[in-house]
Amino acid sequence: MRKGWTLGLAAVFAAVALSPAVAAQCTNDVFKKVMSSGKVSIGVKADYKPWGFRSENGDLVGMEIDMAQDVADTLGVELELVSVQSSNRMQFLEQGKIDMMIATMSDRADRRKLVGIVQPNYYTSGTNVLAPKAVGLKDWSELKDKPVCGKQGAFYNKIVEERYGAKVVAFTGNAESKQALRDKKCIAWVYDDSSIMSDLSSGNWDDYEMPLASEDDNPWGLAVPLAERNCVFGHMMSGLSYDWLQSGRLIELEKKWGIQPTAFLAAQQERMKDWLAE
Amino acid sequence: MPDSLQAFFRELADTHPKWNFIFFYDLTQLDRVLSGLWMTIQLSVVCVILSVVIGVVGSWMQGSHLPIVRRIVQGYIQFFRNTPPLIQLLFFYFALGQFTPTYSPDGWLEVPIISNVGWAIISLSFFAGAFNVEIFRAGIEAVPESTAEASEALGMNRLQTYMYVVLPLAFRVSLPALNNNLVNLVKTTTQAIAIAVPELLYEMVSIYNDYSTAQNASMVVLFVVFIVLVGILVLGMHRWERAIRIPGYGG
Amino acid sequence: MGAIPGLTAKSRTDLAVLRPFRATPAGAADDLLFSRWIAGAPGWLPLAMLVLAAAWPATALAQSNYTYTQAGDALVRWLPLLVTRGFALNIIISFATMAIGTLAGVALGLWQISPNRLVRRTAWAITQLFRNSPWLVLLFIVMLAFPFEIRIGGWTILVPDWMKAVFGLSLPIMANISEIVRGAIQSVPSGQWEAAESLAFSRRQILWQIVLPQCFKRMIPPWMNWYAILTMATPLVSLLGVEEIVTLSRQAMEAEDNHPELLLPFFGFCLVIFFFYCYPIARLTVRIERRFTVKF
Repeated sequence: MRKGWTLGLAAVFAAVALSPAVAAQCTNDVFKKVMSSGKVSIGVKADYKPWGFRSENGDLVGMEIDMAQDVADTLGVELELVSVQSSNRMQFLEQGKIDMMIATMSDRADRRKLVGIVQPNYYTSGTNVLAPKAVGLKDWSELKDKPVCGKQGAFYNKIVEERYGAKVVAFTGNAESKQALRDKKCIAWVYDDSSIMSDLSSGNWDDYEMPLASEDDNPWGLAVPLAERNCVFGHMMSGLSYDWLQSGRLIELEKKWGIQPTAFLAAQQERMKDWLAE
Repeated sequence: MPDSLQAFFRELADTHPKWNFIFFYDLTQLDRVLSGLWMTIQLSVVCVILSVVIGVVGSWMQGSHLPIVRRIVQGYIQFFRNTPPLIQLLFFYFALGQFTPTYSPDGWLEVPIISNVGWAIISLSFFAGAFNVEIFRAGIEAVPESTAEASEALGMNRLQTYMYVVLPLAFRVSLPALNNNLVNLVKTTTQAIAIAVPELLYEMVSIYNDYSTAQNASMVVLFVVFIVLVGILVLGMHRWERAIRIPGYGG
Repeated sequence: MGAIPGLTAKSRTDLAVLRPFRATPAGAADDLLFSRWIAGAPGWLPLAMLVLAAAWPATALAQSNYTYTQAGDALVRWLPLLVTRGFALNIIISFATMAIGTLAGVALGLWQISPNRLVRRTAWAITQLFRNSPWLVLLFIVMLAFPFEIRIGGWTILVPDWMKAVFGLSLPIMANISEIVRGAIQSVPSGQWEAAESLAFSRRQILWQIVLPQCFKRMIPPWMNWYAILTMATPLVSLLGVEEIVTLSRQAMEAEDNHPELLLPFFGFCLVIFFFYCYPIARLTVRIERRFTVKF
């Protein structure tokens, strides 16, 4: 009896799920709203130096903030920055609190279902660890059953746990994770290799190294609302991303903010080279 | 979980992408939820017991003849009652945690003998203990002085008077307020998420960070589980209170 | 006549019995615990805390090129932002939560004593539900579920994050205030209700003109006690991204390259500023309680 009821319910759901999707018409709601109000609201990070962080007078500064300013200039509207965190950046975009988001977000298949991530990807980073030289880590497999510090919300925490059997201890903030690493409460700190590289070059981590091969090279994606992805706003951002990569604007911003020059940006610029350029 | 229910939740996740009850059909996630629940229960039980012990010892020290002992207890209570428990947790784990002795299982890693769970227990127990000292003190004040004097006249020293005469009497008066505080303590254990203690809230947050479609589902289940947990505790405490209630006291 | 435990029947516990009942028992334990203890802090305590917070770095081993003096400098540079934007937001959240929680709590408390059985039971259920839920879980749920803007007619009201946090925190406060109100009303001797009834007052008149004015003074100390507890709970909203003092401290530490030496000064400062805010309130609460103690 119960099985019959459950099957019936499942059948109803299946019918709904398999019904042909209606082709979406572009209504360009968010784009029109931005143009008519003269203001674009962009979500950026406030706790990820140097892509997005806070200055002493309270302003948000960083590489992605400069990119957001470029977007506003292109649209010819005023820029309004909204600080977001990994845990709420997609919700804000879905709810409409922000019009688009440039917030160090990794491009993942399940995220593409919720927000409109545009191509080409503007940056990439891999997962790596910051470990003390004294430990002498050579391979990812040495992390098995060892405590590894991380930040809550990072998608690679789960991957490192499942793939290598490491025990990830996830803190709310990076300062806490790094302090735990210094206190030898964990054997390594798992994070983006770009952030680790800038830490190592700051001179305060001379006893530490980034010994392993970067894994899961995962491009970052900026996002517009899902409904705008194949409409004016999404296409505009695609085009802008392409221009950033081709013209070397992102390489320029990288240098401005002291980020180690990445092979990715150089390779992208080479790939998209203008055949008429000298 | 019977297969038909599992199938139901899978379908629900497919058709309503915001209501992914992933832990009902995915065993790894269910494991995480259960381990988080077990950790919450363990934290609660240990902290409750420890905080009562701290309350008993602290209220005894408060009656000490030595002013230095009284001042120490005062200082401890003031610190723990005037600062947010969240920041206490962070402070304990990072500041005091630096100075704990460690042992090394592999030559590099210094595993402190007090882990983050240990520090959470210490911090939360001392936090609740500070309130318990006052609760027991109020109960002790309700015991007539003549009773304490009588036991002294019978040759009991201060400790014996406290343990065999005063405390049992004080306990009966303090129980309602104590129950309040203990229920509060169970709710405060969720704040241990700040030092990465893998209790229920931490596990749920990890799940919806990994599977953003499971956010609404995990919050709903989290809420229900806590209501049930706390509800059981409150009901149990209530029955105990009623059983040893003194007619005419407490209103 | 039923069995009397201890006399004609087996006693229910083996704990001894106490002396006769007093109208104002010496240990009305739960009402003002929190405030009494903060107020009772010896004068040297804040100074001792400051000295301790400053001396600790000196005893810690230096672990890198970054010194504690530099960390202290960093803290001083970020102080204006932390206080005027961070702590100010904590205070605003506490005021707003108390305001909303009190209004809702008074209403709920009055419903708890309503002669209508359905109203009474629903109000009781709501009170118990929110009294027993963990504040952090409530916050998570409210902040994730609450819309970020409300459309009424042609008007769009933007609901900022901290306001959502205010709604989230006001739920348990509402439940606790409702208990205070109910307790205060029920502590007024029933003789007063009966006397007023015999003088032909309606129920509403009795409540608003006779009973509540007496309760009001009695409710103030526990109400202020809850305000102190609530202020201590406002850092919880940092776990949800609201930019109050703990979040801004984390962002400041990130902007200063996350040297672990920053943790102590920044979190220590958070502790100290909360203490200096709650201490005068606690003293005030105890003073008010002494002035307004009502004796029958």
